[in-house]
Amino acid sequence: MISYILRRLITAVLILLGASFIVYIMTAASGDPLWDLYGHPNAAQLIPDRIDSLNLDQPPILRYFTWLGGALGCLVPFSDMCSLGVTRDGLEVTQLLLFAMGQTIMLVTAGTILAIVIGITLGIVSALRQYSGLDYGVTFFTFLCFSLPSFWLAVLLKEIVAISFNDFLQDPVMSVGTILAIGVVAGFIWYLVSFGRMKTRILMGVLGFLVTSGIVYFVLATNWLTAPFLGIPLILLTGVLVAVIATILISGLRNKRALYSGLATVLVGLIVYFPVQSFFRGAGLWTVIILCLVMIVIGAAIGYFAGGYDRGQGMRVAGITGFFVALLIILDRFMQSWPDYLDSGRIRGRPIATASASTPGLTGDFWIIGIDRFTHLLLPTIALTLLALASYSRYSRASMLEIMGQDYIRTARAKGLSERTVVMRHAFRNALIPLATLVAYDIGALIGGAIITESVFAFTGMGQLFVTAVRNVDPNPVMGVFLITGIVAMVFNLIADLVYSVLDPRVRVKA
Amino acid sequence: MGKYTFKGKAAVSVAAIAALALTGCANVGGGGGGEETGGGDNGGGQEGGVLTIAETNAFTGANPAYTKANLDINGKVATGTREGFIYVNPSQEIQRNEGFGTFEKTSDDPLTVEYTLNDPQWSDGNKIDKADVMLWWATSSGYYDDGDAEAKTGKDYFTIAGSTDILGHTDIPEFSEDGKSFTLTYDEPQADWEIALDQDYLHPAHVVAEEAGMTEDELLTVLEDSPEGDPESPKENADLAKIGKAWDTAFNFTATPENDKLLLSNGPYKIQDIVENSSLTMVKNDQYNGEHEGKLDEITVRFIGDSTAQIQALRNGEVDIMAPVSVNKDTIDQVKEIDSVNVLQGQDLSYDHVDLNFGTETFKDKNVREAFLKTIPRQQIVDQLIKPVTDDASVLNSQMYVSSQGEPYEKATETNEAETLYGEVDIDGAKQLLGGKTPTVRILYNNENPARVDSFQLIKESAEKAGFKVEDLGDPSWSEKLPDGDYEASLFGWVSPGVGTEVLSQIFKTGGGGNYNDYSNADVDKLVDEARSNLDNDSRVDQMVEIDKHTFEDAYGLPLFQNPGFFGVSEDIEGVEYQPNQDGAFWNLWEWSRK
Repeated sequence: MISYILRRLITAVLILLGASFIVYIMTAASGDPLWDLYGHPNAAQLIPDRIDSLNLDQPPILRYFTWLGGALGCLVPFSDMCSLGVTRDGLEVTQLLLFAMGQTIMLVTAGTILAIVIGITLGIVSALRQYSGLDYGVTFFTFLCFSLPSFWLAVLLKEIVAISFNDFLQDPVMSVGTILAIGVVAGFIWYLVSFGRMKTRILMGVLGFLVTSGIVYFVLATNWLTAPFLGIPLILLTGVLVAVIATILISGLRNKRALYSGLATVLVGLIVYFPVQSFFRGAGLWTVIILCLVMIVIGAAIGYFAGGYDRGQGMRVAGITGFFVALLIILDRFMQSWPDYLDSGRIRGRPIATASASTPGLTGDFWIIGIDRFTHLLLPTIALTLLALASYSRYSRASMLEIMGQDYIRTARAKGLSERTVVMRHAFRNALIPLATLVAYDIGALIGGAIITESVFAFTGMGQLFVTAVRNVDPNPVMGVFLITGIVAMVFNLIADLVYSVLDPRVRVKA
Repeated sequence: MGKYTFKGKAAVSVAAIAALALTGCANVGGGGGGEETGGGDNGGGQEGGVLTIAETNAFTGANPAYTKANLDINGKVATGTREGFIYVNPSQEIQRNEGFGTFEKTSDDPLTVEYTLNDPQWSDGNKIDKADVMLWWATSSGYYDDGDAEAKTGKDYFTIAGSTDILGHTDIPEFSEDGKSFTLTYDEPQADWEIALDQDYLHPAHVVAEEAGMTEDELLTVLEDSPEGDPESPKENADLAKIGKAWDTAFNFTATPENDKLLLSNGPYKIQDIVENSSLTMVKNDQYNGEHEGKLDEITVRFIGDSTAQIQALRNGEVDIMAPVSVNKDTIDQVKEIDSVNVLQGQDLSYDHVDLNFGTETFKDKNVREAFLKTIPRQQIVDQLIKPVTDDASVLNSQMYVSSQGEPYEKATETNEAETLYGEVDIDGAKQLLGGKTPTVRILYNNENPARVDSFQLIKESAEKAGFKVEDLGDPSWSEKLPDGDYEASLFGWVSPGVGTEVLSQIFKTGGGGNYNDYSNADVDKLVDEARSNLDNDSRVDQMVEIDKHTFEDAYGLPLFQNPGFFGVSEDIEGVEYQPNQDGAFWNLWEWSRK
């Protein structure tokens, strides 16, 4: 195993060296690095300046080795020898990279995670109901998003989710007719994507109509959009829902102990709700994380003490419920700050932002700043999620379909296992194995930046850094981006292979 | 509307509708909760208020006079953080800023100007005094420089973006006893003496001294005691080099610097916070004692590169002012469609023009030049390229002035007879002048600029009717080829500086740095020299009008049009005025306020 990893790492280094040489030479040969200075009034002084600072009087091959020397310095820990060179404007590439990585990670992380979670869920569900309205609906929707150009999707999102929504917020009033119309449309969609007998489908449609119109009515009648709240009732309702769903997925409703420990955790959450509010006043990120951890531990403990024939299941159900209840309590606290955020002189009642990562100059506590982050990252996150949905849902659907047709699934069914056990335990886990590779690759690509999305939402991440540098015929930043993405890609490739061997006993790493 | 959808379940829908109807109101939402919505009216909640303006480029430094930081955005920010004796209004007239200080010409020969400071100070309370003025003058006069680019000897101590053309003619300033006033004496008259001291070059001497590792007094001593630089016999001056290096490099930062002294301001606002590549926030300078006290508490500049993103941010109220770098019909229409936004339209200072290369065989003959110019369909170009963007666009008829300059432009167009000479396309006239010849004209232009490509096509079409053979030298790296002169005609843009006369010797004088088409006319050369040393504004205008007339008589080339420009300004904002020069909307930022 270890010799395998070593071998892979050595190959990776060699590949990086070779590739870096090729990329450097290609960038250097892609144009005239002085092009923007011709005709400049100060050309006589600027041109020698740049030639000097970028060693342009040397041939690119020599410059590559100078760069390599600086880059190798980064391998020596705690020394000042690390240098990835400077840009043509004299800025340190290492600094730029740090900043750009921060921006990119902030921009794409939530989108990628959401795309993975939602995509896989959609894929699995549509595989389980192959050729149903739901399956076709999901396929249609994900491919629609997949084929939208990202800049256009971004502009649309800004138009609808930001500008129109903010306009609506100025006077959040709808006529009953509109609410009913929305309900009808939603009900129709529920009808289309539901499956089973016609009677069930129509019932689902009606349910969709009722739920949707009910929610819209509730949101408007309580002025929820300008002063949102969860409060005890909604936390209770959602918490119970989470507990029930977690029980269904993990242990089945027949395991009453698991269900009750989940419900008990919700209750604990509600009791904790009041004392926690005072902790939240001066809160930071850690308070929030600690609350989540505490609630998970409480849940697990409840599950443990509830005991039963399968403690583990009870612990998992209650732990997951605890986590979500903690999230609900935190969400409720964010909602309490929402009206203040709306009233702020910099927001002026138009919360959803269309560009950059934060409102400049906005000050406030953790909650206000958190909301600001949310309103700014909302659109790029939606855009990136929608764009990436298709690949995850298609892969997981295909993989799930394949698994569901396997002999061992038939065997599992034949020996009388419940459908839940067959799907969750025997099929789902194995269906995820091929996705491990995909996810690992995507995390590698994540660092590379989303060039168009970055530019439309005025983020200056890795993609922007790369594009500007290529345009400027400026090899050093190109190399910086290449180095980071190259290393991340290689490492995650390796991790993917190793994880594969752990997940799938049929695959063995040859030592 | 829903009741036909669910036949079997009608009862359910009816019940639902009934339940909703029971609430008794046709509209849901709004004032029900008793809590007011956060919208609109809260904007004026604070005294003064805040404003956000979108800019295309990101801030790179607080010294826009330094070559590498000479970016439009840095200059715009400097309009808030620096002020000097003058500023320029939208008609490109020089306005005096007496809150900073006054100046007057005390003698014509030799030209002597006496400046008096009106007690201005930096935002840390440090007065602007002798050391600051000496440094200011030193940077823009190049007095100590002894660099020789050819011989690669000596050194230019301050790497400045502009030229030392004007103050280079002055001797070291003489200060009064109290240091509050100083006198500059010129060795020859300079028409541009009023704009000699540019506020972009003014930086706090005590900070520059600290960065150079000396005290402010030591800096002053170095500046006072160092001899004038002589490129013939360069001498090293280590102290000056340190000061120069500090001045060049200290003010370059893309995020809030650790040393907040670098953010010192003597203007109505001071930089408080810079978020790299994202935004810059200026707050009111509480130590400001001049005349342009800001009305707003805070001005935030946001860097949004994509123009669609800028427009959507404006629509969404995230920014209050936007001014796109490239103006086209699409962007202006999008902004005009926004209800709550006013569009301030105007003519940019940049203009496109066709220059004929006097150094080529073809255009040595004045008749050929004239014939070619007669074929240029200027009205058609304007109709096709500019009219869709702004309705009141017209052909530009002067090489000296742009139409936003008003009176001098009128005068120039009356005198140069551009309208009668080249007002309409005259193919027959051109044919007559050519007398059956079919000269080849190769036109150099930037074929990555769609407007230039269109202009080229129209010119080509029209000129070929008269018998010219037009060849396409379109090239993205046209600017490199411009000085080579390997073309008959060139089509490109100049940006009129608005004020000053430097451009005269650059473009129209024999051998000038921007005289790419080898134009040479002894009368023009003489007029240029006279105008540049003429201290009387009115007669200088006459001289420039005269130069203008010569260029049309000589069939120098033709100006085509001024580019349109616009700002999108939220209705809530007052005091913004269209300004075509490089400062854009920022030029009067102290007058901005929120309704």
